[in-house]
Amino acid sequence: MQNPHFLLRRVHSLVGLVPVGAFLLFHLWENSKSRFGQEHYNTYVVEKIQNLNYVWFLEVFLIALPILFHGVYGMVVFWRGKQNVTHYGYFRNWMWLAQRISGVGVLLFLLMHVIGTRILAIWNEAVRQDMFSHMKNVLSEPYFLVPYLIGLVLTTFHFCNGLWSASIVWGLATTPRAQKIIQVASGVAFVVITAVGIHGMLGFFLAS
Amino acid sequence: MADTIRFRIRRQDHPDSGPYWQEFAIPYRREHNVVSALLAIRENPVTIDGERVAPPVWDSNCMEEVCGSCSLRVNGRARQACSALVDTLEQPIVLEPMLTFPVVRDLLVDRSAMFDNLRRVKAWIDIDGSWDIHTGAPRISPQEWDLNYALSRCMTCGCCMDACPHFGLDRDFIGPAPLAQVLLMNSHPTGKYSRADRLHAIMSDGGLTDCSSAQNCVRVCPKHVPLTAAIGKLGRQTTAQLLRDIFGG
Repeated sequence: MQNPHFLLRRVHSLVGLVPVGAFLLFHLWENSKSRFGQEHYNTYVVEKIQNLNYVWFLEVFLIALPILFHGVYGMVVFWRGKQNVTHYGYFRNWMWLAQRISGVGVLLFLLMHVIGTRILAIWNEAVRQDMFSHMKNVLSEPYFLVPYLIGLVLTTFHFCNGLWSASIVWGLATTPRAQKIIQVASGVAFVVITAVGIHGMLGFFLAS
Repeated sequence: MADTIRFRIRRQDHPDSGPYWQEFAIPYRREHNVVSALLAIRENPVTIDGERVAPPVWDSNCMEEVCGSCSLRVNGRARQACSALVDTLEQPIVLEPMLTFPVVRDLLVDRSAMFDNLRRVKAWIDIDGSWDIHTGAPRISPQEWDLNYALSRCMTCGCCMDACPHFGLDRDFIGPAPLAQVLLMNSHPTGKYSRADRLHAIMSDGGLTDCSSAQNCVRVCPKHVPLTAAIGKLGRQTTAQLLRDIFGG
């Protein structure tokens, strides 16, 4: 019989990679299609996903519940640590703190993001029919644009830095050299994934 | 100011009493270390305000950074006081006990958590008989020996535990040093037989998963024990153990 303490933390790590991390990549990639314009986006991105077989099942079990678990258990991990960057100002110690702060930031951002898109679309027919225009309106508002930009960067950071620590948790990177290589790789991934995300946001304005 | 060495020391008279700070100044001498400076303060325990006080209490023994007993926070960082050379330190030199352990008095802490946690993870090797078992000494590859030697340098000084954001009085985490000893014992030819027991010990409350890779431990370790490499390797061993537990084998 496995100890639940160990299992919970490992499931927390696994869920952060798959499905949550995988969904993040899918989500940003799909949204980068905003550059093709209103009709293409509404038809080939939003409608196509909404017409997926058992989409509600996928939304609940592959997106909502895993994020909820990762977030709630993440808060448990958050309270279990005690930052000491003032004494030990090493890079990785700062990253440790940044991972915790970004985790809380991502939860707040997701609350705003999910209510303002998916949940709003449940009863708002106009939003459901034309997500492209809705997003364009939202992002035109600086009060939303700035939190969206910050939320995006926090999310991609949390994911990429999490990739690094997951590589140690699961025992992929054992030597300091391997951990360094993954640190550089996750840094590159952070830049690329963030660029894809910003590209998706810009697409709502630059689309022909 | 060059002719004195100034210290700011955190004092605590009793495990349950509150802390207070006192400052001392001793005549400058070349090549003082923090322990020799504390000895000098003890000879004449007068604060810079001219008050004669009880000399600060600390722990030390070997004076060559191998026993691990003189760990304390020098200018905020846990390290061995004997190898903290005064000429390299910024003044006033701030001395504090390692506050992740219970304070006994002044700079002296109770590090028994280190030994308790070594027991928790079964960091020992069962003898394979008190009689002659008619086999030669076990053979170990030079590569494996290399890592084992690095791990065996641990002197349970507790610096890694003090620097760890997850180790503390009110928390259950075993800490980096005892974890590294699990890897050492697991790779021993006789110790291997208790491998699953040790892995299960660190796959429980306060075990390996309480580490979140802040990696301060490896930065402060005075003996350069490859703590983060050990934690990565234990990640792999526990992953394999988890698969064995679930699927057999």
